Amino acid sequence: MADLQDDLHASPGVDGLEGLDDLGELVEDPFAATPYTPVTDPGAAPLERARALLAAHPVADGYCGLPWALRRLPWYDLELGESDLDTDVPRLREGGVGAVFWALHLPEGLAGDRAVGATLEQLDLVRTVVAAHSEGLRLAHTAGEVADVRHRGRVAVLLGPAGAAALGDCLGILRSLHALGLRVLTLSGASWASEAGLTRFGEEVIREMNRLGVIADLSGASEQTVRRAFAASRAPVLFTRSAARALRPHPANLPDDLLAGLGAAKGLCLVPLTAEQTGPSLRDVADHLDHVRALAGPECVGLSGTYDAGTAHPRELPDATGYPHLIAELLRRGWPESDVALLTWGNVQRVLRGADFTARAAQRRREPSTARIAELDG
Amino acid sequence: MSAVSSLAEARELLRDFPVVDGHNDLPWALREQVRYDLAARDIAGPQNTHLHTDIPRLREGGVGAQFWSVYVRADLPDPVPATLEQIDCVRQLLDRYPADLAPALTAADMEAARAEGRIASLMGAEGGHSIADSLGTLRGLYALGVRYMTLTHNDNVAWADSATDEPRVGGLSAFGREVVAEMNRLGMLVDLSHVAATTMRDALDASAAPVIFSHSSARAVCDHPRNIPDDVLERLPANGGVAMVTFVPKFVLQAAVDWTAAADENMRAHGFHHLDTTAEAMKVHRAFEERNPRPVATAATVADHLDHMREAAGIDHLGIGGDYDGTAFTPDGLNDVSGYPNLIAELLHRGWSRTDLAKLTWQNAVRVLGAAEDVARDLRATRAPSNATIGQLDG
Repeated sequence: MADLQDDLHASPGVDGLEGLDDLGELVEDPFAATPYTPVTDPGAAPLERARALLAAHPVADGYCGLPWALRRLPWYDLELGESDLDTDVPRLREGGVGAVFWALHLPEGLAGDRAVGATLEQLDLVRTVVAAHSEGLRLAHTAGEVADVRHRGRVAVLLGPAGAAALGDCLGILRSLHALGLRVLTLSGASWASEAGLTRFGEEVIREMNRLGVIADLSGASEQTVRRAFAASRAPVLFTRSAARALRPHPANLPDDLLAGLGAAKGLCLVPLTAEQTGPSLRDVADHLDHVRALAGPECVGLSGTYDAGTAHPRELPDATGYPHLIAELLRRGWPESDVALLTWGNVQRVLRGADFTARAAQRRREPSTARIAELDG
Repeated sequence: MSAVSSLAEARELLRDFPVVDGHNDLPWALREQVRYDLAARDIAGPQNTHLHTDIPRLREGGVGAQFWSVYVRADLPDPVPATLEQIDCVRQLLDRYPADLAPALTAADMEAARAEGRIASLMGAEGGHSIADSLGTLRGLYALGVRYMTLTHNDNVAWADSATDEPRVGGLSAFGREVVAEMNRLGMLVDLSHVAATTMRDALDASAAPVIFSHSSARAVCDHPRNIPDDVLERLPANGGVAMVTFVPKFVLQAAVDWTAAADENMRAHGFHHLDTTAEAMKVHRAFEERNPRPVATAATVADHLDHMREAAGIDHLGIGGDYDGTAFTPDGLNDVSGYPNLIAELLHRGWSRTDLAKLTWQNAVRVLGAAEDVARDLRATRAPSNATIGQLDG
């Protein structure tokens, strides 16, 4: 596949969007204001169209478990790849991936006292690995940096989600992790974000996340937490790994009313490509995408490969190289090209931009929070 | 030369070559006093009743660069999160006082801050417990801006002996040497204050970069384990490092060392731990103090150390590390961070030249950080980040 850089001038849609950066906070939803310019020939074969579309609007993949998987493979070369793992740079390029969130989730047993230190180690590992593959990967922290990395023909790596336990119940640690690059935090697995919902401290965590530009991930959070986060967060929220519960009863999948609520809150549901959550075939994944798009809206659905996270994938989607086939299926089902472009790239960019805007505005309004869990949740 | 004219000359000298101070515990004081409510201790104005440190007194003291300590107690169940909080505190201070405090990560940043008339602000971690035996965590602290790490605090870590604990590994273990090597690769200064003399010698053997003592004085002048023995001071010229003299009376004045030992003994005799600060324990302590007046150190006491350290290590290997807000008592004349000119005046009085004093206050410390950066640049070209574990190396 051609270097993404070479396709830049064939993507006026993306070029046009970059210009909106300057308008900043005047624009509620940059995508609504930009008419979509098609990049494919409607008469061409679906797979050919899918590849052309991904060249202009690559996949921003919402979850990759590589950091933890690499702990036992320190010699791993992401340029060469190997059959042991799902992810390497050639396969990301072949699959049309332009950005990936690298998860810093820890195994259950580590969620206790050692979570902060283990998260620091994960962050260090990601920085080391990305620095060692600078021809293929670059770290990115904002929507602008993601676009910049793409213009340089690299795959953008974003840091997160990390689990709530990584905060050690302390906002100072949240700020330090943000300074180290963390951009997504999953609101589950802590006393302040539990099955019972968000505590007062939990709400303060969300306000501080908004101030910093750390996006809330609600996959795996309790329904009470989800509903409270919809209301409390000024920035768009994410579900990094959630499909439709109406189609498959997995606890992390979303019931229809939450999907509708997500649409109203202009959040983003990233549908995982896992047999467990979406089903054993590519068509199952497409069914989930149809469903989420119908209920939450085309600007609130995205993709989450969930590769290297120790879970089985649909037959036709064993690794990132399957994305063009999935996109071809959606085009066959009649998805307008503009909706596919939102699914792959545009929606994630919108959420990143929303987080940036919210942070900039909040930093003028709010001091760093000194609230402590003992004071608020006592 | 009269005392008055020396003080005027000291102030003038500090305008050109301000003090780089190696160790200040303001972040810990803010944590303990107000749980980081920085508005409750606004250091833009005088905080004399609560703190040794505020911006007006830093300015009056001629401070041009400060290593803020991100110390945390070693007996916390997990010191890593607390260290991140301390780092956040320093970053918040930098955000709050941008006209006075300049974030600094390199020697060049320090020079730029001096040129702008701002106080270069660096961070130092005090004790290997802050990395929890993890080189990944060490790199995390470096990425957050930490530019030195004291290998131990008052207690041993598994890979290095402290000066104030029972000898265990006899200096640095194999993993301890790997920590030093990784610090060299990063460009993080190896700080040998607080460590055992055996650890000092092992670290000097292991380090490819100059080391520092962020706050330690001379053992030959005052026999306390926190001070530096002569054989170690004598190795600094070959290593290129810098020993930053500290002011803490119970380390620098023999009478204060003896007095503190007697006071501690008195506490134990009454059934209290010697650091107990409960009302009952303090009553016992105050009674002792009434019977036995506390010996008072002065700027001359500290100058005695510097005179000796200069003999042992040479003028190019001296610096200053006051330990303000990290110690309950301070010498007369060096009561808080406004006091440095009194020390410089005392040294002028003793015949130290302006060239010598510029090295002591500013040039040596800046040179050492720059040298560590140079070593790191070379090492990074040939060595990958180490992921060795203590289990692998120390068994």
